[in-house]
Amino acid sequence: MNISPSSACSSYHACSVSRRHALKVGGLGLLGLNFPWLLKAEQIAKAAKIKPRIKSLILLFQWGGPSHIDMFDMKPDAPEEIRGPHKPISSSADGIQVSEHLPKTAKIMDKVTLIRSMHHTMNNHNSAGYYALTGSSPATDDQRLRDSPDLYPTWGSVVDKFAPNDGAMPTFVSYPYVIRDGSITPGQHASFLGKQHDPLFFTQDPNSPNFALPELTLPAGLTYERLQARRELQKIVDAQTRLMETSAETRGFDTYYEKAMAMLGSERLRQAFDLSKEPDVMRDAYGRTTYGQSCLLARRLVEHGAKFVTVYFDDSIGGQSTTDGGWDTHGFNNTKMYPIIEKRHLPITEQTLPTLLNDMDSRGMLQDTLVVWMGEFGRTPKINGNASRDHWPQCYTTLLAGAGVKKGFVYGASDREGRYPAENMVRPDDLAATLYHMFGIDPETEVMDRNDRPLPIAKGKPVTGIYA
Amino acid sequence: MTMTARWITALLLVLCLPLPAEERPVSFRNDVMAVLAKGGCNSGPCHGNANGKAGFKISLRGEDPEYDYNSLVRDMFGRRINTATPGESLLLLKATATVAHEGGKRFDHDSLEYEILKKWIAAGAEPDPENTPTVTEMQVTPRSRVLLEPDFAAQLSVTAGFSDGSKRDITRLAVYEPASLAMKASPGGLITAENPGETTVMVRYLNQHQPVHLAFVPARPDFKWSSPRANSYVDRHIDAKLRTLRMNPSAVTGDHQFLRRAYLDLLGVLPTAGEARAFVLSPDKKKRQRLIRELLDRPEFAEHWATKWADLLRIEEKALDRKGVELFHRWIRESIADNKPVDQFVREIITARGSTYQNPPANFYRSARTPITRAETAAQVFLGTRLQCAQCHNHPFDKWTQDDYYDWAGLFARIDYKVLENRYRDGLDKHAFEGEQIVFTAMKGEVKNPRIGKDSSPRFLGRTEPIDDDQDRLQELAAWLTGPENRLFARVQANRIWYHLMGRGIVDPIDDFRATNLPSHPELLEELTADFVGSGYSLKHLVQVIMNSRAYQTSALPNDTNADDVINYSHAQVRRIDAEEMLDALSHVTGAPLEFDGYPEGFRAGQIPGVHAVAIRRSQITDADKFLQVFGKPERLLATEEERSCTTNLGQAFQLMTGPALTELLNNKNGRLDRMLAAGKTSGEMLDELYWTALARPPSIAENAAFSRHLEQAIDKRAALEDITWAIVNSKEFVMRH
Repeated sequence: MNISPSSACSSYHACSVSRRHALKVGGLGLLGLNFPWLLKAEQIAKAAKIKPRIKSLILLFQWGGPSHIDMFDMKPDAPEEIRGPHKPISSSADGIQVSEHLPKTAKIMDKVTLIRSMHHTMNNHNSAGYYALTGSSPATDDQRLRDSPDLYPTWGSVVDKFAPNDGAMPTFVSYPYVIRDGSITPGQHASFLGKQHDPLFFTQDPNSPNFALPELTLPAGLTYERLQARRELQKIVDAQTRLMETSAETRGFDTYYEKAMAMLGSERLRQAFDLSKEPDVMRDAYGRTTYGQSCLLARRLVEHGAKFVTVYFDDSIGGQSTTDGGWDTHGFNNTKMYPIIEKRHLPITEQTLPTLLNDMDSRGMLQDTLVVWMGEFGRTPKINGNASRDHWPQCYTTLLAGAGVKKGFVYGASDREGRYPAENMVRPDDLAATLYHMFGIDPETEVMDRNDRPLPIAKGKPVTGIYA
Repeated sequence: MTMTARWITALLLVLCLPLPAEERPVSFRNDVMAVLAKGGCNSGPCHGNANGKAGFKISLRGEDPEYDYNSLVRDMFGRRINTATPGESLLLLKATATVAHEGGKRFDHDSLEYEILKKWIAAGAEPDPENTPTVTEMQVTPRSRVLLEPDFAAQLSVTAGFSDGSKRDITRLAVYEPASLAMKASPGGLITAENPGETTVMVRYLNQHQPVHLAFVPARPDFKWSSPRANSYVDRHIDAKLRTLRMNPSAVTGDHQFLRRAYLDLLGVLPTAGEARAFVLSPDKKKRQRLIRELLDRPEFAEHWATKWADLLRIEEKALDRKGVELFHRWIRESIADNKPVDQFVREIITARGSTYQNPPANFYRSARTPITRAETAAQVFLGTRLQCAQCHNHPFDKWTQDDYYDWAGLFARIDYKVLENRYRDGLDKHAFEGEQIVFTAMKGEVKNPRIGKDSSPRFLGRTEPIDDDQDRLQELAAWLTGPENRLFARVQANRIWYHLMGRGIVDPIDDFRATNLPSHPELLEELTADFVGSGYSLKHLVQVIMNSRAYQTSALPNDTNADDVINYSHAQVRRIDAEEMLDALSHVTGAPLEFDGYPEGFRAGQIPGVHAVAIRRSQITDADKFLQVFGKPERLLATEEERSCTTNLGQAFQLMTGPALTELLNNKNGRLDRMLAAGKTSGEMLDELYWTALARPPSIAENAAFSRHLEQAIDKRAALEDITWAIVNSKEFVMRH
């Protein structure tokens, strides 16, 4: 651990000073001057260097950790205690087999890239979830990894900072859960990038008959103009104290007011969230589940200009029930993994994932939108004493489909028993670098953390082998 | 240039150290293990990970030297070590990144680390002889230092003492970890900073660790101590540190801000216009002191502070059921109203048994249903100690071992339940109950310690000898926990009370006491603790001591010297007011009642004992309930204050701008707005009432002018009044505690 005084030290110091200067300008921006042009200039400079391969991304996060061996990396030749009771079937892509419980999903394998060599070593949900959602390895494999502004931002927040939308549609939307395992899982927001890059987040259930974002609906009798007038009155009261000037917390709250005003002024935004605009047959096809309707909403949001949409499968790691919860099927409390995934997780996936990809394909959206399906880890190759599987970050599969990636393609491979990557290991760091690169954002772009330390937004290398 | 000069000095220091190998053979445990720690090799993200890394696993932070020896010397057919050609050992090739190493280069060929490993390998990579001394203590100097700009470099020096009585300078072998990323540590123990700030540096050598506190203070050549008035020992301690750091505290805040702060902190509600006017206009010199005393006797005080315990003790309907929630909450409220000594309060919880309906504190065990949960919760809530890490391995940042963990859990092994009735429908959900239960102590039952594969021997945290098992374990535990030999309990409770008033614990987080998490003001914490114990663990006494201090009454506005300060109480903390406070404040200003699912109209948010009176999945929650969620009222699933969030977000802005809860309150036909209009008040009178009610002050000239104009030009007076009320409750002055 020979930390030598870097010769680049003086130059990064200079850089950090100039950034602080920029932030001061930003601070003034809140009081009337305008700041976004600075960001814009930054973006243009970046964009000139790297050609974006995707315009938007939908992340379907499978909290709890789906079993790679029982879905997309079947091991029919392995001993029974490894291969499990399910059989593989062939798919629409040469050489790709998937579980017999995913026949419709099998038909869309010609649209996807599977990375079968995902790897990390975080064995706990919160540390692994944070790693997966940010591409940054936590310092410790801490089961109750504490959320803290020192931690890395999630992917969507990085996109929000370096490739934001124009207009009122938020760049980054996430829903319908806050994922947690005992404590809230870090990696769901902008962290040290600042609250202004947090997602538009909600927990309303898109499957509920009266789903609407009340936030986007002005109450009866309140026109937008009247709201603007109220905001002006509010500023008169705010001018009486020096809170705005002296408290970052206070200024942060006010930036949300700015954002909310812009959103409330947008008709297009309201349309995007209105699922009743979809025909019943389409809603049925996605599945009348929270997850199904969330995926349908994700498609609408991207159509209306969102760049990064995260859908969480469930808020809990679950695995012990056929009616709720995520993929964490250990077989605890006398539950068994297979009856549970056969009844809950696989049917939901089977109904929704192929529907989403086919629907997006028929609308031409897979030309510029990438869909990523992944969990925080896979599950133990060897079936445990409860006829179930435990956590396995050492090797698992991530599915990608749409813009930027090859079709019907497998990148990397696991070993005979799905224990370790046999070739082309991909870490979450690399996946993060890949996605940023696809957005046209240089993965080595440095951001300042809370202590003014320059950190690269991604520490891995883009996996160019999957590029179309 | 100064940096370079410093580096040369550090290097010279290192070179001047006697090379260990000249005096004695390289020891595996004392030298090689130290190098593995120094290189970061045995850290969690690297080979100390539970799964190792790249097929090489050693114990986390070297807790198991024997395992590590085998891993290095015997695994992989001994390829990691090459005694014939030491330089070809995989261990060295990897560590110097001569061959590809995912962890990069850990040290150079000409480093001390390299030399130690190479010599050890060349000497046969032998385990230590039986008589090798083991480390027994570690001395770090300085333990704390204040550095004045531009001299932002502190050289630490570390000596280890061994079982044979020998001492050794291990400065170059110890590991240095600054808690703040802004500070850097050299391998030789030189800690440098580029910017002012405070940090703890953890110094580690084998199983020894010690924190060092360093403060890097800006020069501020023009600094003049403002000699502020000290109201009590609280201010004297705070001032002593501020002065060292060359910071002046902010001025004492005005009456109306103090009043608002005191009401929010003690009662969770705002003063009425009448109360505010009376206080601000009162000429009484001691009015602040008097106000604090009066507020402590109001029922809202017990309600508001019961909420803090309710968060910690996980008072929620799923485990306790609605009746249990209300009974437990009432018991806490009454305890607070009676100013029951906090030690007695905790003893009653710890020893509680019987029906959860007849004896409300037994609900503590009703929600903590396994020995592990009880043990972790009791440690965190009553001893401010997070034991969780030690469930699977020795705690990496604290002294707790796995044995400590399971022996502590063993104290709670025999609690059992007789479920008299369970009307909860989902049989799969083992955490949900509806109906009466009896908590009792079983005759038998132990917790297994997986490390030794045997039953643990119940033992108090930090004690070496097991308990006397003839007695009731919980009675013994309660006596020890709150007894005179366990000062930690009082310290943690005093710190918690401090946190709730000052916004930040002297030890922070307040439930993470450990040698490696230093208090910002150790002497102050000790004196508060002594005061608290001396007062008979009186909550109301300690609250008065803290609130009567100047530190509590300081303005939130920083001055030129303290703007960057967050830990030294130089100015009051600005934070968004809590969910319940916010909602009740909106109801207070609009004069309209709130509607919660399961409670009568007019119930305040701050009076709600639980979380969801009616299960959310079974019915739509009301707008008011939703409001509380958005503003971070916790679900009470964790026994920690951190579950309650006072951060701000976009959803909250929407709630306050266009949300249904506020809209309903503004539209209420029997509220303040209509009452003022019906009474035919003038614009000035109406503004006055709104301002005093919401902000405990009259409108300023500018506000009066603008808002009077808005009212007088309006055709729809009510609408104009809605706009003004909206503007006031959306102002930062209203939504922030400052």
